[in-house]
Amino acid sequence: MKRAILGSLSFFAFSAVALGAEILRPSGPISPVAVFRKLNALLLDAWPDEGATFIKSVSSFKDYYLYIILGLFGIFLLHYFIFGPRRFLHRGEKVAYYGFFTRFVHWGAAVSMTFLVASGLAVLFAKVFGGGPLVMGLRSVHLAAAFVFAIFAVFLFLSLVKDMFPAPYDLKWFLILGGYLTRKPRPVPAGKFNAGQKMWFWVGTAGGLVMFYTGYKLYQFTAPVSYLRELLKIHLYLGLAVVGLFLIHLYMSVIAVKGALQSMLTGFKDVEEVAKMHPKFYEKIRKEF
Amino acid sequence: MARMKFLCDIERCIACNGCVVACKEGHQLPVGINRRRVVIINEGQPGEKSISIACMHCSDAPCIAVCPVGAIYQREDGIVLVNKDICIGCGYCFMACPFGAPQFPRGNAFGARGAMDKCTFCAGGPAPTFSEKERRLYGQNRIAEGKVPLCAGMCSTKALLAGDGAVIADIFRERVARRGSGIAWGWSKAYKE
Repeated sequence: MKRAILGSLSFFAFSAVALGAEILRPSGPISPVAVFRKLNALLLDAWPDEGATFIKSVSSFKDYYLYIILGLFGIFLLHYFIFGPRRFLHRGEKVAYYGFFTRFVHWGAAVSMTFLVASGLAVLFAKVFGGGPLVMGLRSVHLAAAFVFAIFAVFLFLSLVKDMFPAPYDLKWFLILGGYLTRKPRPVPAGKFNAGQKMWFWVGTAGGLVMFYTGYKLYQFTAPVSYLRELLKIHLYLGLAVVGLFLIHLYMSVIAVKGALQSMLTGFKDVEEVAKMHPKFYEKIRKEF
Repeated sequence: MARMKFLCDIERCIACNGCVVACKEGHQLPVGINRRRVVIINEGQPGEKSISIACMHCSDAPCIAVCPVGAIYQREDGIVLVNKDICIGCGYCFMACPFGAPQFPRGNAFGARGAMDKCTFCAGGPAPTFSEKERRLYGQNRIAEGKVPLCAGMCSTKALLAGDGAVIADIFRERVARRGSGIAWGWSKAYKE
C-alpha cells in the first residue's frame, strides 16, 4: 500500500515537473518564413489557387450575356425572315389544351420569371443604370421574385410533369429539329408537348433547383468564401441558360408560332395546329370522342 | 507620390485588439462590420503570433477589377475607397478579395446586403471632405487632418505601421536589423525549408 502511494505520488511529481518544463521551455527562434506560411494560409484561404481565375471569369460574364442576347436576336430575325412564323387556318374548331390551373401557375411563373431575368440583368449591367439605390432595389426585386417564382414553379412542375416523360418518337422530333427549319408545315412526331418542350422542362427543373440553391446561399452569404466563389460562377453560368431559354420561349410563343400565346390565355388551341404540331395528342383526343 | 501602406510587425503584435476597437469606435461602425481584425496562430502555445489585418489597399486591387458598377476606386496615393452612393452590394468584391476586407451590413429589404463597407485608411470617402455625409457613410477623415490611421495611432506596441510605403519599410528594416533575432532573412531561409 505504502509502495503504491509512493509510486503514484512520484508519478504525479514527475508529470508535474515534465509539464512545467514544457511550459517554461524557451520556444527558441521560430522562422518568420514558417510563421508567415501559417498566417498566409489562414488569411488567404484558397485565394492563391483560385483568385485569379475567379476574377477573370467573373469579369467576362457580362460579355457572355451580351453575346447570348444579341446572338439570339440575330437568330430570331434570320429565322423569322427565312422560315417565317407558323400560321394555322382558323376553322373555328378548338381543342381544350391547358386547364385553368395550368394557365394560372404558368402566368404566375411567367411574370415572376420576367422580373427575375430583368432584375438579374440589371445587377449584371448595373453600370448602365448608374448603380446605387435603383439597382440595389432591383436586387431586392430579384430576391422577392425568386421566392414567388419558386412557389409557382413547384405547382407548374406538378401540373405538367405527367405529359413530360420522354417517348420513343421524341428522338425523331429532334432529328428533324421539330420541323421548324422548313417553310412548309408538315406534321411532326410529338405528343401534348414536343421533345423540345420536354427538354426545356427537365433542363429547367434541374437548373431551377440549382439556381435556387446557389441564389439562396449567395443571399445568405455565410458560406466559406471559396464555396461562394463556386456558387457565383454556377449561378452566372446557369443564368446564361435561363436568359437564353427565356428569350427563345418568348420568341416561339409570341412571334414564331402564331396562336401559341392565345392558347395559353384561353386554354384552347386550334385543331389544325394540334393536328400538325402535336399529332400523337390529336390522335388520343380523337379516340376519346 | 507616396503610396500608402499598412505593415504589421508580427514580432511586436500582442493581439490586444486595440486596433480593432479603435477602428470600430472611431468610425462608429455597427456590430457585424469589421474593417480590421486580428488573426492569431499557435494561440496559447509557444510561438504564438498574431497579425492585424484590414484592407491592404492593393496596388492592382482585385475588388476594383470585379466591381460591376465601378464603385471602387484608387486614389493617387494608393488608398482604395468605395463610393457607397453607387455600390449595389452584390458582394463580388468580397469574393475577389484575398483578405476578406469588404463588409456588408444587412439592413435592406428582405435582409439583403447593403452597400459595401471597408477600411478607408481613415481617408473618408468620395463625399466632400469633413462633411456630415462623409462622416456618416465612411467615418473620420484623419488623412485629410494630417494624422495616421486610428488603428496605427492606437497600436500600443507600434506593431501596426501605416503611411508612405517607403518610409514604413525603412522603419521596419531598421527594427529587424536592431533586433538581431538570429534569424537572418535570406535565400537559405526562404527557399531551403
